[in-house]
Amino acid sequence: MKRVAGTALVAAALLALPLATQSDFVLTILVFAFLQGMLAVSFNLVFGYAGQLSMFHAAAFGIAAYATHLFGKHLGVGYWGGVLLAAALVAAISVVVGAICFRFRLREFYFAVVTLAFSEMARLTVLNWNSMTNGSLGINLQDKATLWLPGIGVSAIDSTLAWYYVALGALAITLVVCWRLVHSWMGRAFVAIRLNDELGDTLGINVFRYKLVAFTAGSIMAAFAGSLYAYFLGSLEPGLLSIDTSLGIIAMVLLGGRRAVAAPVLGALVLTALPHLIHFSAEIRSLVYGAILIFSILVMPQGIYGAAAQLIRRHA
Amino acid sequence: MTQLIAGQLLNGAIVGTLYGIVALGVTLTFGITGIVNFALGVFMMLGAYAAWYFADTVGLPYPLAVLAAVGVTAAAGLAADQALFRFTRNNLVNGLLVSLGLIAVLEACALLVFTATPKEMHRVLPGIVMLGGLVLPKMKLVVFVLLLAVIFATYAALTRTWTGRAAYAYAQNPEAAALMGVATARLQSGVVVYSCALAGLGGALYAALYSLEPTLGSLFILKAVEAAILAGIGSVTGALLGGVILGVTEGVGSIYLPLAFRDAYGLVFLVLILLFKPAGLFAGRR
Repeated sequence: MKRVAGTALVAAALLALPLATQSDFVLTILVFAFLQGMLAVSFNLVFGYAGQLSMFHAAAFGIAAYATHLFGKHLGVGYWGGVLLAAALVAAISVVVGAICFRFRLREFYFAVVTLAFSEMARLTVLNWNSMTNGSLGINLQDKATLWLPGIGVSAIDSTLAWYYVALGALAITLVVCWRLVHSWMGRAFVAIRLNDELGDTLGINVFRYKLVAFTAGSIMAAFAGSLYAYFLGSLEPGLLSIDTSLGIIAMVLLGGRRAVAAPVLGALVLTALPHLIHFSAEIRSLVYGAILIFSILVMPQGIYGAAAQLIRRHA
Repeated sequence: MTQLIAGQLLNGAIVGTLYGIVALGVTLTFGITGIVNFALGVFMMLGAYAAWYFADTVGLPYPLAVLAAVGVTAAAGLAADQALFRFTRNNLVNGLLVSLGLIAVLEACALLVFTATPKEMHRVLPGIVMLGGLVLPKMKLVVFVLLLAVIFATYAALTRTWTGRAAYAYAQNPEAAALMGVATARLQSGVVVYSCALAGLGGALYAALYSLEPTLGSLFILKAVEAAILAGIGSVTGALLGGVILGVTEGVGSIYLPLAFRDAYGLVFLVLILLFKPAGLFAGRR
């Protein structure tokens, strides 16, 4: 009951936040944080719950960003048509990549290396398919993301305020889907696989199937995040698929915490807001990311959420 | 055409030994500490910049600069081991994440100190050798021979000395090795530092051949990990062979296939090896 009340309170505060501030600066940071949070929460489903260190998440994110634009442009299906087709494409690729990895029982480090290899292949393809992706220069998106609203019809999302609610809604959907997944029979299967997949196998859990489900579901959510992120940013570049993006996602999850569905959002908030609040150059930002990664592994392995929960428990 | 292929074969083999020296560090570190040190790439970068700094700015003769660079990377390796890697022994995922964090930190530092502008070291050993119609810079030949010598010396040390055998024993059964009097904590630190020094040596020699950028390590560590896995992680001579195979495949492959996807050939090869021969090409060899 306490938890429900807390969640409702946070949701109400976030919904009402634009009443307090209309500052473009604050809202922009929050939109980025929400979209990155989506990415981190969905990654945590694969990493924190099912225990698979996938380096394919950035690729799913980037492929969807490019595919949304390219489907929209070449097939004329509009923004949401592009989003859905991009998600379907990412789902198909993830099933293939995941099936290869899990069928051959790649684990831990080997799984990370092979997914990294697939991720790099995707990046090289984007980088070199000049006629479609404009190579290393990337694409400036001219078209706008759209939204259908009852009573108003289809309209472009162009104000930061509109983006704020879209991003908040997308994050909320991601959280609900992940929460439902984690707290179902399937979620318990994920955790069993993380803890000991051989034992899980003997208990009748289809390890291959549930690993694939976790991996694909995570990738699809990353795809939606990518489609939104690129259109909020207004540009596409091969860097979306890079190892640095993967590193950023991992840093958010570790900093936020792995053991609660919403915890990675905390990491996303801190890591997105920090460079904006203090004016960091790209080098310093990368330095801070690395330092946070090391710090959270060695000193605060439970993340912000875990550390805070421990503190509360001790004083309660 | 045959000359082009022969040239690429030779070039590939030379680049391959550079992959090999880093791959050797990857293999040794994994065998003894149970983690994959992705940060070896930045130690290579560190060695390269240190050699450039000692040779061009301080003005040491190149061989001394190489030694100094190896010393610097070994010291940095020791610091990293005591401050970070000591806490992630046998925890593959944590070790991987810590080394990824270390890469981000050190690369950013290199960018701040040396900027992204490529650095060019003075020509160390100008001149070429003609090898049956093939033109080969002298320095490349020196690097090739030197790296081969170091790799084989490492192999000899591992198989012939007490410490080397202790390392093998530890890799096979840590508890039994500890009971037989192997100082395991010191052995682990020693191997981490030695691996960093090897990567630093690779970097210092690299500096004499190519221009330097702060990101050079990222490319090399990926290739080195590929090489180590390709050969079967844990095998010393395999690391060299894996590196050379990778270098040659890339060299010869880029004659026939588009150059832009050069880095992808190795990846495809790696995925296939992991899927169909997960223990590596030379599984079972030392």
